[in-house]
Amino acid sequence: MSEKRFMKGNEAIAEAAVRGGCRFFAGYPITPQNEIPEYLSWRLPEVGGSYVQGESEIASVNMVYGAAAMGTRAMTSSSGPGISLKAEGISYLAAAGLPALIVNISRGGPGLGSIQPAQSDYLQATKALGHGGFHAMVFAPNSAQEAVDIVYDAWEYAERDRNPVLVLMDGCLGNIMEEVELPPMKELSDADLPDWSLTRRNGRDWQGNITPIYTEAILEGLNAMAGEMYKVWEEDDVKVEEFMVDDAEYVIVAYGIASRVSKEAVLTLRAEGYKVGLIRPITVFPFPKKSIRNLDYDRVKAIIDVEMTIPAQMREDIELQVLDRCPVYEYGRSGGVLLDDEGVLEAVRDIVTGGTF
Amino acid sequence: MKTSFVFSGSGGQGIMSAGITLAQAAIEMGKHATYLPEYGPEQRGGSAKCTVVISDEPIVSPLPKNCDNLIVMNEQAYAKFYEDVKAGGLLLANSCRVKNADERDDVKKILAPVDDIALELGNPKTANIVLIGILIGATGIVDKETFRQSLEEKFKDKKPGVLEMNLQALEKGIALGAE
Repeated sequence: MSEKRFMKGNEAIAEAAVRGGCRFFAGYPITPQNEIPEYLSWRLPEVGGSYVQGESEIASVNMVYGAAAMGTRAMTSSSGPGISLKAEGISYLAAAGLPALIVNISRGGPGLGSIQPAQSDYLQATKALGHGGFHAMVFAPNSAQEAVDIVYDAWEYAERDRNPVLVLMDGCLGNIMEEVELPPMKELSDADLPDWSLTRRNGRDWQGNITPIYTEAILEGLNAMAGEMYKVWEEDDVKVEEFMVDDAEYVIVAYGIASRVSKEAVLTLRAEGYKVGLIRPITVFPFPKKSIRNLDYDRVKAIIDVEMTIPAQMREDIELQVLDRCPVYEYGRSGGVLLDDEGVLEAVRDIVTGGTF
Repeated sequence: MKTSFVFSGSGGQGIMSAGITLAQAAIEMGKHATYLPEYGPEQRGGSAKCTVVISDEPIVSPLPKNCDNLIVMNEQAYAKFYEDVKAGGLLLANSCRVKNADERDDVKKILAPVDDIALELGNPKTANIVLIGILIGATGIVDKETFRQSLEEKFKDKKPGVLEMNLQALEKGIALGAE
């Protein structure tokens, strides 16, 4: 049975994780994601799961490593500065081939930054979540509901690929309250445990070993397999929303909270007669390259990258697909100062009316 | 029909709670609503702001800058946000703390001593409910009965008397707002 609730984004993520089978969480407090651990601290014990507030970020992510090795659906969450601290452990998860969910509710940066929302971690999320040249699938939902749907199925991707999955949101989406429809609880049994898991539950035999340490030839082989996997993601797993793009002369590219403010601008400018559209990456890795590469550049006059961070971080990914066939502009707010409808509208209107933006 | 509200004051004045309860009541009436809080690191005393959008249609952006209704609980909040009310919109201020609200003459203004009213009712913490009452009385944005039920739900586990006091604050506010 699904049910509707008026929920905070962070709490909706936590409940969706539980319903998606999460039975272990370890983390360390940081604003603006604290409602996730707070919620799971009482919710996980209700369903027979375990909640640990670790002594640090690195300890927490390594507890997730341990739980995942046992075949338990495990997660951790943090915000930018804490994700940096978890980077070593996330890299080890990828090395050991362990599924886990990492949630980043991002804030202003760099360094300690600000506790207010910002989309400041795109590059970290998509290019180098840790050392060693690995990637995770990175989902960037733009509403509490979409976060629920993505988190609910996060372990299906993570277990399929034996690789961590990252959900990237900002503090606005973590703290917004809106209606969500919650999916039913996934009923998982020991029979659903991955065959590589180390658990001896239910009389299972020891299955082998899980390690992040390899000889060079094996490591090279694993690197190559990872490379192939990223190509498959690009073919099969890209998620993107294209809104009023078919006849658009100006195309905004925006993800997460920025995409909602941008869509409002598209609707207003369309009502004024301007042909504006929106491409919204839902997966930012794999990036929806084709949506941008295959635009008709005889028609499209400019691309506008709208992000709640300065300078824009997605711009290079966009430019690699545009290949100088039209100008790419950017508009953003940063440091914890939020985007707003009027600011984005004015910036985009300035471009479409040939202003001096 | 889409209506936006900005509530602002200092931490501890019930700003966030007012925004959530209003959004919750709108949803119970079958409308769509978003509530977005913004605050600093302080538990109390820092600046507090929340934005509520209520609409018959699903809400695209929860981040309007200019609002249809601005509700300010103190002087700092007024100074920071008075320019953001749309022309023809509503400015509702706590006149116990906002002494001068002369900057705008293109908006509807309600200046009400909500702190004093709350004190008379016996608890200064009910000032935000008086404020919401005025808002409901003046705009009819949510149905009075639905809001009453949200309050009953919110305070059902509190000490006896708390709910009654808040319901009185609501009634008082609605009567003032309707004037």
